[in-house]
Amino acid sequence: MNLLLTLPALLLLALVFAVPLLRYGWLSFHADSVITGLQPVPNGGANWLRLIEDERFWQNTVQTLRFAGLSVALELLLGLALALLLHQRWRGRTAVRTITLLPWALPTAVMALGWRWIFNDPYGPINALVQALGQPALPFLSSPASTWFVVVLADVWKTTPFVALLLLAGLQTIPSDLYEAFALDGGSPWQALRRITLPLLLPYAFLAVLFRLAQALGVFDLVQILTGGGPAGSTETLALYSYLTAMRFLDFGYSATVMLGMFLLLLGLTTALLLGRRWLAGGRA
Amino acid sequence: MRFRRLAVLLVLLWSLLPLVWQLYTSLRTGAALVTPQPGLAGWTLENYRQILTGDPPFWRFLLNSTVVGLASTALTLSLAIPCAYGLQRQPAGTRAVISGVLLAAAVFPYVLLFLALLEVARRFGLANHLLALSLPYAGLSLPLAVLLLGAAFRDLPPELEESARLEGLNTWQRLRWVLLPLIAPASASTGLLVFLFSWNEYPIALTWISRQELLTLPIAIARIAGSSVYTVPYGAFAAATVLGSLPLLALVVIFQKPIVAGLTQGAVK
Amino acid sequence: MGLRSTLRYAVLALLLVGLIAGGALWAQRRQPVIVTALMPAPFAQATEPIVATFNRTHPDIELRVNRGPFETESISDLAISSLLLGDSPYDLLLMDVTWTPKYAAAGWLAPLEPLLGEDALAGVVPGAQEGNRFDGHLWRIPLVADMGLLYWRTDLMAAPPRTPDELMATASRLQRSGRVRWGYVWQGRQYEGLSCVFLEVLRAFGGQWLTDSGDRVELGNPGGVAAASWLRQLIDRGITPRAVANFAEPEALQSFEAGDVALMRNWPYAWAELQKPGSKVRGKVGVTTMVATSEGATAATQGSWGFSLVSQSPHPREAALVIAALTSPEVQKDLARRLGYTPTLSALFEDPELVAANPVLPELRRALDHTVLRPLSPLYAQLSDILQRQLSEVITGERQAPAAMERAQRLSNQVLRASGVGTSAVEATP
Repeated sequence: MNLLLTLPALLLLALVFAVPLLRYGWLSFHADSVITGLQPVPNGGANWLRLIEDERFWQNTVQTLRFAGLSVALELLLGLALALLLHQRWRGRTAVRTITLLPWALPTAVMALGWRWIFNDPYGPINALVQALGQPALPFLSSPASTWFVVVLADVWKTTPFVALLLLAGLQTIPSDLYEAFALDGGSPWQALRRITLPLLLPYAFLAVLFRLAQALGVFDLVQILTGGGPAGSTETLALYSYLTAMRFLDFGYSATVMLGMFLLLLGLTTALLLGRRWLAGGRA
Repeated sequence: MRFRRLAVLLVLLWSLLPLVWQLYTSLRTGAALVTPQPGLAGWTLENYRQILTGDPPFWRFLLNSTVVGLASTALTLSLAIPCAYGLQRQPAGTRAVISGVLLAAAVFPYVLLFLALLEVARRFGLANHLLALSLPYAGLSLPLAVLLLGAAFRDLPPELEESARLEGLNTWQRLRWVLLPLIAPASASTGLLVFLFSWNEYPIALTWISRQELLTLPIAIARIAGSSVYTVPYGAFAAATVLGSLPLLALVVIFQKPIVAGLTQGAVK
Repeated sequence: MGLRSTLRYAVLALLLVGLIAGGALWAQRRQPVIVTALMPAPFAQATEPIVATFNRTHPDIELRVNRGPFETESISDLAISSLLLGDSPYDLLLMDVTWTPKYAAAGWLAPLEPLLGEDALAGVVPGAQEGNRFDGHLWRIPLVADMGLLYWRTDLMAAPPRTPDELMATASRLQRSGRVRWGYVWQGRQYEGLSCVFLEVLRAFGGQWLTDSGDRVELGNPGGVAAASWLRQLIDRGITPRAVANFAEPEALQSFEAGDVALMRNWPYAWAELQKPGSKVRGKVGVTTMVATSEGATAATQGSWGFSLVSQSPHPREAALVIAALTSPEVQKDLARRLGYTPTLSALFEDPELVAANPVLPELRRALDHTVLRPLSPLYAQLSDILQRQLSEVITGERQAPAAMERAQRLSNQVLRASGVGTSAVEATP
C-alpha cells in the first residue's frame, strides 16, 4: 500500500529521467540526421569515434568546466560573505535578505537579455560610465575574454543568493556558545571563523557545490541568449552544442552522443566530489 | 559598524542596480537611450503600450506562465505528497536508495533531457498544450519536492499517526486529516519553489511550444529581442522584463519566509 | 476562519481559475481551410494590407500570418521546432534561401511543381532563380530578392572603390581627414550574416567555399586565406571598429545612418531606411556591388526570401493558391513601391513607376547578375557554423587567418566525411 503511494511519482520520474537516458544510449549508436531523412540507421560506434576526435566537443568541455569552476568558486566566496553578513543581527536584515533573493527569482532568460544591454557597446550604462571618465567604450561582448567575464558575472549575480542561503542555514545550526567559549579562551574573531565556522560549514558548502556545479555544467539559457556561444565559439557550452547539433544541424544521433558524453563527464566529477568529501571527513576523524 | 553599513550598501547596489537599470530603460524613448537628452525629455510609456498592444498582447504570456505554473505546482504536490509519505514508511535501506536516486535526479542538469522530451511530445501529441507542459515540469520538480516533503514527514512525531490509527482512520484519512495539515508549511514552500521553477523554465518550453499565443514568459521575452523591425528594441524588451518580473517580485516579497525555508530545509535535514 | 485557512482557500481558488483558463486555451481548435504562414516580423508587418486584400477577395480561405522573430536563425529554430513536433501550426513558411536543402531532405516540404506547374519560376530574374530547386524538385517560390551590396557616401567620394585596396585607401584617407570616424562597417558577429559577408570577399579574392562536386571544402586555399586576412586587416588598420565582432545588420546600419562611416556592407532594405527623415545621410548614399581583385570577381551573396509549402499541411491546394497570390507581380510591385523591397520578377525592374520611386533599382538589377549562392547542401548549417567560428577567431585576433582557414577546412571536411558514413549506411539498408 505504501509503496503504491510512491508509484505514480516514480513512474513520472522514470518517464522524464530514465527513458530519455536509455533513448540516448540507443540513439548514440545510430545515424539519425537530415542525411538519413531523420530516420535512425544503425552505424556502429561511428558517433562515439566522432566524439573522441571532435575538437569542438573537447574545446566546449574545457570551456564548460572552466565556466562552472570559476562561477561556483566565486559564488561560494561571495555567498559566504553574504551569509556572514546576514547572520549578524542588525536592523533591516530581513528586508535586505528579501532583496538579495530577487536576482535568484527572476528568469535567467530575462536577465540574460538585460546583461546584453547593460554591456552594450557603446550605449550601455557601463560604457556610458567608461566614456564619461574619458575612456573609449569597451567592446565587452566582442572579445572572448571579456564576454566570458560577462557570462560568469551574470551567473554569479543570479545564483549567489542561493548559495548564501544554504550557507546561512548552516551558520544557524552552529551553537553560539561555541563562539563564546572560544572568545573566553582568547581567540580572535578571525580565528573563530577559521577554526569553528568554516569546518562546521563544510557539509553545507559541499551540498551547495554539488547543486551548483551540476547546474553550472548544464548552463544553457544564459549562453544561448546572452552570447549564442560566440564570439569565436568561446562561450559555447556542451549543453548549447548538443542543442545546436539537434535543432539547427538536425543530427539527433550525434546530439544524443554529445549529451551522453557530458553525462559521463558529470558522473565522473560527482563521484570524485563525493569521494573527496568522504576522504576529507575521514581525514578529520 | 561602518564596515557593515558599507557592505550592506554594496549588497543592495549589486542586487538592485541591474533591475533599476531595466526599469529606467523601459521608461526611455529609443532616441534617449542612444543620445543624451536635455532636461526632462525622453521619458515615455510608449514601450509599455507597445508590448501590451502587441500581437498577442503581453498579458497573454503572463497568463500562460501562470497557468503552467499553477498546473505544474498542483500536479507536483499531488504526486509528491503521497510519494514522500509512502517513502517514509519504507524500510531504511529502500528509503536510502530511493533518496539517493532522488538527490541525483534533483541535481541533474535537466537541459540534457530536452531532445528525448521533444520526442515524447511528438509521439504523444503533447506539443503546444499548456497543460501538457506541466507533465515534464512536474517530473523535473518531483525529486526536490519529494526530498523536501520527506524531510517534513520525518519531523512529525510518530505517535501522532499511531493514535490516529487507533481511532480507526485508514491510510488515506490519516494522510488527509492528520498529516496534511501538519506539513502545510512545507507544502507551501515546496509549491512556491515548483511555481518559480515552472515560471522560469526555458529549454523545455522552447522546444515544446511553437505557437506564438501559447508561449510562456521567458520564451516570449527572449523572442521580443529578435522580433522588431531592424532596430534592437531594448526599450520594449526592458518593459517586458519589468512586467514579467513584477509577479515574481511580489511573490518573493510576500512569501520570502516559506521560499527561504524551502531552499534551506533540504540542506539542514 | 484563520488566516491560514483563508490563504488556503485563496490558493485553491487561484488554482481553479488557472485550470479553467488553461482548459479554455486547450479547447481552442483550428477551423477548416485556414492557411497559416510563418514570416519574420518585418515581412509579417509589410504584408498586412496584402493579406487583408487576399482575405477579402478569397472568402473560402482565411490567410493568417504568424509573426516570427526577426533574426534568421531564431525564425529557423522556431520553424524547425514546430516541424519536429509534428502537427505543424504552419502551412506556409517564408524561408531563407539556405534552408531549402535541409528542410527538403528532412521531408518537411512538399514539392511545388505538381501544384504550380514546372514553369513557376519563369519570370524570375536569374539572381533569384537559384536555390529554389534541390534533388530535382521545386521547393520554394521567391518573394523578395536579397543580395549583399556596398553602400557608399556620395558626399565623401566621387565614385565607390572597386578593389579591396582602393576601399582601404579611400576609407583611410577620409578617416585621416576627419570626415568620418570609421571607414567601413559590415556584419562581423558570429552568425549567418558573417558567412554572407565572407562569401563576397572570398569570391573577390578568387576563392571557393565548397568544390563544385560538393564533397570537399577548400577554404584553406590562397583565396580563402587572403579573404580572411583582408577582414582582419580592416580592423588592424582601424578602418573597421573592433566592435564589428558584435555587429549584425542593425548595428552596422545604426552607425552608417549616424554619419559616422564612409562605407557599409548591407542588404537592399537599408536603402529605404537611410532615406527616412531621421537619417543623417539622407540623399547622400549610393549603392553598388562589392569590391573585387583581378583574381576574383565581384559577388553579391544571395539572401532571398521565399514561400515553401509544409508537407504536413492539410490544405496544400489552398496554400499553393496563397503562394501564387503573394508572389504575384501586383504584390511584389506593391512591396517595392511602399517599402523598397527588391522584386524577383524581371519585368518589375523596368517598371517606370518603380524606377522613379526607387532610383537605385537599376543598380540592384545589376547586382542580381552577380549573385552567388552559399553551398546548396543539407549540411549547410554546420558548414556555415564552422566557418563563422573560425572567422570570428580571426576577427577577434584569437587566431591567424591561415591557421583559421586551414582549421575551418579540416573541420568542415570532417563533418562531410562523418555524414558520408551515414549516407552509405542508408544505401546499405533496403
